[in-house]
Amino acid sequence: MESIIRAWRTAHAEENGKLLASTISLTNTDLEEFAYSTNSARVAEDIFRSLEYENNSARPKITNKTGLEAWAEVYVAYWKVAQALERHDDVEWGQVFVNMKDLTQAVIRGFQNGLWEVWQLEILYTACKYLRYVAIRTDEAKRANGEDTWKSLEDAARIINRAFNVCLNDRAELAQSRKWGTYYIINLLFKTYFKLNAITLSKNILKALVANTTEMPDLLDFRTSDVVTFKYYCGVIAFLDEDYVKAEEHLDTAYQLCHKDAQKNKELILTYLIPTKLLTRRQLPSATLLKPYPLLESLFLPLAKCIKSGDLRGYDENLARGEDWFVKKRIFLTLERGRDITLRNLFRKVYLAAGDSKTRIPVDHFKAAVSWKSGVELETEEVECYLANMIYKGYIKGYISREKGMVVLSGSNAFPGTGV
Amino acid sequence: MTTPPWRAAGGTAVQRPSFHPVAVRKSLGKVNNTNSYTAAQPSPPARRTQFPDALKAYVARTFEDCPSENKAEVEVSLKKIITDAFENETVWTIDWATHPLPAAARRKSTTSDKMDISSGDDASPTTNTPTKGDFNTVSKGNKRKLSSRIASDKNEFAVTRPDKKYKKTNASDYSYEGPDAFKKLDKRYKRHQTKNVFSHYNAMQSALDSPAFAPIVGRATNLEKRYLRLTSAPDPDTVRPLPVLEKTLELLKSKWKAENNYSYICDQFKSLRQDLTVQHIKNDFTINVYEIHARIALEKADLGEYNQCQSQLANLYSEKIPGGHPHEFKAYRILYLLHTCNRSNMNDILATLTPAEKEDRAILHALAVRSAVAGGNFHRFFKLYLDAPNMGGYLMDSFIDRERLAALAAICKSYRPDVPFRHITEELGFENDAECEAFIVKHNAGNFIKTKESAKEDGTNKIVLETAKALPTIEAAKSAAFKKVDIKGQI
Repeated sequence: MESIIRAWRTAHAEENGKLLASTISLTNTDLEEFAYSTNSARVAEDIFRSLEYENNSARPKITNKTGLEAWAEVYVAYWKVAQALERHDDVEWGQVFVNMKDLTQAVIRGFQNGLWEVWQLEILYTACKYLRYVAIRTDEAKRANGEDTWKSLEDAARIINRAFNVCLNDRAELAQSRKWGTYYIINLLFKTYFKLNAITLSKNILKALVANTTEMPDLLDFRTSDVVTFKYYCGVIAFLDEDYVKAEEHLDTAYQLCHKDAQKNKELILTYLIPTKLLTRRQLPSATLLKPYPLLESLFLPLAKCIKSGDLRGYDENLARGEDWFVKKRIFLTLERGRDITLRNLFRKVYLAAGDSKTRIPVDHFKAAVSWKSGVELETEEVECYLANMIYKGYIKGYISREKGMVVLSGSNAFPGTGV
Repeated sequence: MTTPPWRAAGGTAVQRPSFHPVAVRKSLGKVNNTNSYTAAQPSPPARRTQFPDALKAYVARTFEDCPSENKAEVEVSLKKIITDAFENETVWTIDWATHPLPAAARRKSTTSDKMDISSGDDASPTTNTPTKGDFNTVSKGNKRKLSSRIASDKNEFAVTRPDKKYKKTNASDYSYEGPDAFKKLDKRYKRHQTKNVFSHYNAMQSALDSPAFAPIVGRATNLEKRYLRLTSAPDPDTVRPLPVLEKTLELLKSKWKAENNYSYICDQFKSLRQDLTVQHIKNDFTINVYEIHARIALEKADLGEYNQCQSQLANLYSEKIPGGHPHEFKAYRILYLLHTCNRSNMNDILATLTPAEKEDRAILHALAVRSAVAGGNFHRFFKLYLDAPNMGGYLMDSFIDRERLAALAAICKSYRPDVPFRHITEELGFENDAECEAFIVKHNAGNFIKTKESAKEDGTNKIVLETAKALPTIEAAKSAAFKKVDIKGQI
């Protein structure tokens, strides 16, 4: 107990938020010692006394009775967490989670009651972070026993959401405002909601944020790591909403700001940025771009090659090969639209092969090309259907004459955006 | 088994410190006496299966210092204590905070004995008070604080991010918060432990398994019952038990065949489902009921009711209850999601398809429909429509008009100067020209159907649709159709 309370005191003397946060961290090196330093009958008293010891009158906010009580509450809860983790042969996660909730709520209350200052926010981050971790482990343990549940994580999300409101709705002047904690907490919420597959809840957060923008510091003034994560999630949310223009904007920012060595994060961003750019700009990733990411390279590069060369069969095969991962990442349904572009490129080749300025091309030529490249003999009607869609979607300028069995292409710019 | 400690009455009350705020119980375990106390409790249980928080803490305390060799024994006596408390309805009245622990849970050493009997004594021999030497560290820290304070006071802008002040920190001496923090924890508290050790939760859960918490069993014997939404706890007298319900289903099946009265059947099925739910009946019969109701609802294009059955079925299948036709209904689900244009749920369902499911004929059909819609391949789509297995056709009916308009819009945009009427009939999966004509007229494009004199010598006239002129009308109808996807009872 000693070392933790000592660190607590030092942290206050130095106004060192990170150190303060470490006193409730689950990775604290003194966790075990702390767990065994008292017992449940006297933990409250022991902690209160050791906090009280060496009263520092310079900080009335923490040394008066309410202040001490608030902290005692935190460390009693923390002790219970430690006890549940360290003093059992097999960790009972359900119990750890109950205690972890108490801990987080005690921390939230400390801020809510205006007892703590902005430099102490780190402790809120740490509490929420490990609350989420413990919730995940709890649900996992339950699922291992055959119970299909996400209840603990849902519970954790509700508590983190309260932490979010405590940050967002602080009215103190900006230098002393808990608003500085908003984005860290939001990112934690996003992560949780994504894991819970409750993405609509993320949108509620964004709505609450928009309603508060006027008093909010500029996003770019926040920690870059928080900005990148936030932009990434905004991008993915827009992506899933099929708002690809917005998605591109957010993901581009995230990619630009991302630390150059944060390989994993860049890979996550690219996972969504590549399909996005495929749709918004019909842009394909280059081999150089993909080089550092073996997974992305193995899945996206062959796909890109097929799209470029109009290789329908190869496209279908590569899409099917990566389907599991694409679906897991929720990009499958978007990548699937790349087939249109593959088809467009193939039709364009037919046009080019027909020779200069030839604007009338028999439907049969397209049929032959599609049948060859997809490896399936198609009916004329199906090829016409493809052509009709291409024209409808603006990939091709021209019309079909059913009577003559011809496609009549526009004299100029027949394939918009491809230089033909 | 020994008598549970709390039954040894009197003793506990004496040991309890006099200042304790909880109302004093005069007797324990007697049902008639407890009633008044239950009423006095601030928070009577909302449901019978809840545990008082104090009980949870009590259970946690029991195991805290329990020697591991005693755990099995402790669990048994704990279970007894809890079960007794529930049966005597004293669970909300017992003061768990001072309730004695099971004997086996106590360590033999003297110190822990003291601890278990709890509170009261002020002496705290184990308290760790910081020694004088500790302050050295504090003062060392103080120096740092001074210099950083000065630095921060010089900030020009008040709005600098507060944490910018601290570049360096000695926090890493105490804990590790790097990106691998969770991995370290995973390692420390071994992940993927599947061994189900006894735990106080088990003790509580097994206490719940006692008959006192079994779901109700109905006593009604009438086969038919009107559906009424429950607003209070179900009354066993109006609930039909499983054997009766089985007869009900047979009756309903024959009535449906004979009378085909959907509003009656739907009502009856709803009450049948309700009786199953309140009695917690989840077996192959339940699945059968939901499947039949879902199919009838499909046939009558009642998508709301269908979807309710469908989501219940999804739960039942996922609980691995044997029986039923999970593949057939998975295929419906895919088609239903196409109807609602729900892309994110569609993604989820694709993500969870098993290899076996991907070989099922109905599911393959539904997947083919999905990819035809996604790729705008209306030619294939309408072929699949005419060839839908099971009752997939009924589901596709719900969005067939919409897809027809989409296809027709593409045709109107791309064909010039016109398109043979027969081509539309065939491509859009109509059974005959008359049906096709009715469809086009319904969407106000009837004026654009024209008879064209054949250029060929055979003298036959051709009926065509004037594509360019029809396009705006069809386009408007199409966007209207996509706008109103009625999501009835969507989960």
